[in-house]
Amino acid sequence: MLPHDPLRRVLPLLEVHRGRVVRAVALGALALGSSVALAAVSAWLIARASQMPPVLQLSVAVVSVRAFGIGRGVLRYLERLASHDVALRGMAALRANLYDALARGPVTGVVALRRGELLARVGADVDAVGDVVVRALVPAGVAAVVGLGSVALVGAFLPDAGLALLGCLVLAGLLAPWLAARSAAAVERRGADARAEVTARALELLEDGQQLRVAGRLGGRLEELRAADARLAAATDDGARSGALAAAVGAGAQLLSVVCSLVLGIPATVTGTLAPVELAVVVLTPLAAFEATQALPAAAVQLRRSREAARRLVELLPDTPAEPSPGQDPRPAGHAPDRSPGSAVLLRLDDVAAGWDGTTAVAGVGLDLRPGSVVALAGPSGVGKTTLLLTAARLLPALAGTVTGRDALFVAEDGHLFGTTVLENLRVARADVTPDEAREALAAVGLDGWLAALPGGLDTVLGTGAGDVSGGERRRLLVARALLAPARVLLVDEPAEHLDAATADALVRTLADHARRTGRAVVVASHRLAALDVADEVVLLGRRDDAEHDAGHDAGHGGAAATVVARGRHADLLRAEPAYAWAAAQESRRPDAVHA
Amino acid sequence: MRPLDPRLLRRARAARTYVVLTAVLGAAAAGLVVVQAFAIAHALGPVVTAASAGRTPALGPVWRWVAVLALVMALRAGVAWAQERFAQRAAPRVVGELREQVVAHAVALGPRAAGTGDPAAVATLATRGLDDLEPYLVRYLPQLLLTALVTPTLVLVVLGLDWVSALVLAATIPLVPFFMWLVGVMTAGTSERRLRAIERLGAQVLDLLAGLPTLRAFGREVGPGARVRALGEASRRAAMGTLRVAFLSGMVLELLTTLSVAIVAVGVGLRLVHGGMELVPAIAVLVLAPEVYLPLRRVGAEFHASTDGIAAAERAFAVLETPLPRSGRGAAPALDAGTLVLDRVTVRAGERGVEAPSDLSARIPLGSGRPGGGRVVALRGPSGAGKSTTALVLLGLLRPDDGRVLLEPADGTPLDLADVDPASWWVRVTWVPQRPSLPPGTLRDVVADGHAVPDDALAAAARTTGLDAVVGALPDGWDTRVGLGGVGLSVGQRQRVALTAALLAGDRPLVVLDEPTAHLDARGEQVVLDTVRAWRDAGRTVVVIAHRASLLSLADQVVDVVAREVAGAPA
Repeated sequence: MLPHDPLRRVLPLLEVHRGRVVRAVALGALALGSSVALAAVSAWLIARASQMPPVLQLSVAVVSVRAFGIGRGVLRYLERLASHDVALRGMAALRANLYDALARGPVTGVVALRRGELLARVGADVDAVGDVVVRALVPAGVAAVVGLGSVALVGAFLPDAGLALLGCLVLAGLLAPWLAARSAAAVERRGADARAEVTARALELLEDGQQLRVAGRLGGRLEELRAADARLAAATDDGARSGALAAAVGAGAQLLSVVCSLVLGIPATVTGTLAPVELAVVVLTPLAAFEATQALPAAAVQLRRSREAARRLVELLPDTPAEPSPGQDPRPAGHAPDRSPGSAVLLRLDDVAAGWDGTTAVAGVGLDLRPGSVVALAGPSGVGKTTLLLTAARLLPALAGTVTGRDALFVAEDGHLFGTTVLENLRVARADVTPDEAREALAAVGLDGWLAALPGGLDTVLGTGAGDVSGGERRRLLVARALLAPARVLLVDEPAEHLDAATADALVRTLADHARRTGRAVVVASHRLAALDVADEVVLLGRRDDAEHDAGHDAGHGGAAATVVARGRHADLLRAEPAYAWAAAQESRRPDAVHA
Repeated sequence: MRPLDPRLLRRARAARTYVVLTAVLGAAAAGLVVVQAFAIAHALGPVVTAASAGRTPALGPVWRWVAVLALVMALRAGVAWAQERFAQRAAPRVVGELREQVVAHAVALGPRAAGTGDPAAVATLATRGLDDLEPYLVRYLPQLLLTALVTPTLVLVVLGLDWVSALVLAATIPLVPFFMWLVGVMTAGTSERRLRAIERLGAQVLDLLAGLPTLRAFGREVGPGARVRALGEASRRAAMGTLRVAFLSGMVLELLTTLSVAIVAVGVGLRLVHGGMELVPAIAVLVLAPEVYLPLRRVGAEFHASTDGIAAAERAFAVLETPLPRSGRGAAPALDAGTLVLDRVTVRAGERGVEAPSDLSARIPLGSGRPGGGRVVALRGPSGAGKSTTALVLLGLLRPDDGRVLLEPADGTPLDLADVDPASWWVRVTWVPQRPSLPPGTLRDVVADGHAVPDDALAAAARTTGLDAVVGALPDGWDTRVGLGGVGLSVGQRQRVALTAALLAGDRPLVVLDEPTAHLDARGEQVVLDTVRAWRDAGRTVVVIAHRASLLSLADQVVDVVAREVAGAPA
């Protein structure tokens, strides 16, 4: 392993117990050793028997041949259990350590998770890293022990034959695996583009197939998929050359060592330096010894695969695990913020700029939130509403300006519902939520009917990923959870998504009521404007040059950062801002809104 | 579940050649193993016998056999090379062939492909799922064929050398699959139950990891760490319980095969002592005995490759064997000034217990095809009423569960859309969905779609649809490559491309437009209105799924689409 090998960084997280690995390797070596010993003793037995000695002289050999025959199966069984135990312990430890590292590391790393598909792969990657024990480390250890043992056995009778066996074992145990790993890497590398193209074309056909049929383009597109698949096959074919070479080396090395033993052993026997019985052992033992190296090409490929998985996991890990990120302090247990700009202000944004990776999305935002404040962030999708909320919640560092005050809760649009009961999901907000409080919160977001229809009420387990919850129910559950949180400031992202107009507006009103009744502050980011008359202030984000721009473009792609283009009460904006008025008018004139 | 499904050979041409080649190579491998055993025996036996008797062996034939062995070595290496090479060559081709068939069939099944499960599963199958066939083809299948070829051949050869050993081998070989089957059957129930438990535990850990951003937002991230550990430990215990049982079949395999090799060796040894056998055949038997079991053991070792591969193939066949809807043969009539009749069209929406649309009837007079003679027909209704479904029915992509769509030419008999050859209908239709797909090519080719379009017509169309602004911003203007491998366009931009292409496809009298609902501003709305007007001015019929009042006010006819909950069905 190279110094920068990601496996090196990840392996300590497996907390592998050295003794357990040694036990697994020892059991494996004994199992495979039985097999080699069986071959060696059988060879001796047959050669000696052909000299027709008294049968009693063979009895030890006869018994040990049978013992090795039984021992192999039993020991191999024990070895497999031992090595899988090590691997499973490692995977469990890795998952736990990964969780801890992400939970304790800088918060920005966790927020970045939501932006990628990294999480989707974590499960498979952890398994792949764990597999390195069973499929690579233990087989390699066993092969080394058994290989060297066989060399010692053969070498004890005829040193030259021992050396020849060693050479052939190196061919089969090092060269062949190296070739196999190279082949796997080449297949992956050369095939990467073709594979991506095949995937993209297959997905396009499945998604847009009906359009293509109507447009008469389906046949052509299928033809192109076929061509892309042919390119993928050709690339694989090219890359797999050294894999075939590995197979040839593996197959040839075994017989090469037998040939070497014969060429070296026969003259030695003729000259009398090697007993005839020993010649049989020297020639026939290598046939069994190569079983040790058979697993190694696959082990090398696995090592590579595990390394790739480890690389992805390392990307997830914070660089320096224990160090808190700027702006991220241990959460105060509900007490007042230390640098509060005045006891009445819960959260203040002062000329804040927000964005990802140093690119400013929104700039120049100022905001004071007091108990009972209800503020709405409006503006087209992609303008940076979510980014601004994340910054206000200190989940992202501000690129400029200051955020003062803490205890703000960001309620994500895609917040996670856990595969546990409804009540436990709500208790994520606060551990001591009572069933009555839970029912009250669900009723506040209009889910009382939904709750009543659930078979187990609050104790109903939501499907993992909350599969049995519709998009609209999910949004409302997330808001209900936020209502139960002790945080003084709620920053709610797009609560209206996936909801029909009436429910969406009611939900925004519920949030506003909650804030005013309990002395909290609420910021609602929404591209739906109809219900924003409940807000004390609507902050309209946009780009100054938007009028010149074409709405067909995704707003996020524009060059300049967005900023506050207008602010005031809903009614004032309707009067003063033609674009705002136009957008609001569209909502009320929608035919589906009329019918709903 | 069969180890080699004949459907695989029927459906994938590459698989057929591959299986034949592998069988040929397997036969060659069997022959080489036999020659190898005899070469070793003839090289070793005489030397041992002579040296034991204190004689000098005749080295001439011995060296000849060593040379034969060297040749066998080269040939075995060659066979291994060829096998691996063919396998690596054939596997992606087989996967590719199946992929094309699955994709083509899934598309042909229509927008609501019945029986194929959810579309995401088909997409996974067509992209990653079928890759599971590669290990099956590369590693499992050759061993399976070797077991069928090598094992019986070698038993016969041993029979010729020493019938007692052959008897031992012949008696134990059937025991191997029998015991493995027995262990499998006895443990299947518990293993499956435990595996489900393990999966559940694993899913809980992933659930916690996936929910970490949420937990951190609430400041509740530290507590579950201990739970992740506890779940991991529980999962390990459960898994070890399963493995203790699952590995039993492996142990039976190893035990039987190694033990019978030992029994053969001891038996041969004892017969040698009593002079019942010569050394040369004894060595040959000793060398052959492990080779008899080798393919069988490798088949056992590749068990996972086989189950995963077979499962992937089964999923592919499940898609491929879903019958296609019957398609009509009649040619679509000319539409000019004809009528499109919706006659009590009802589509049931999956398991939701909803009919959307429900019992929809309407007569839609079509445009004359002459300038000024066009019509705009709006489909109106709340979301979920079945507007888009109605459009799919009109397009002939979806069969209504009840009712029918009739094409009534201006002078002629009505024709049921179900009896019309879809291809002849689609050449008369342009469909602009909410998320139009973009064919690869230059923007000019994409928009013109095979029509000869003069530059000024192109520019005029682009002005109407607002595509001119998009073209202006692109690096190479009209010659920019778009679509797969080209410049990515946003949904809004793609809609404009599709609107423009539909504007230029004047030979398609019916336009079906799913109105863009992406956050349009005043200008975006104007573009849609202008385009719809331009279509009408050209004499075409526009069926539009309207979300906005402005479009509804433009319509010559409004068709109200309503859904209905079916009584008694679960809501």
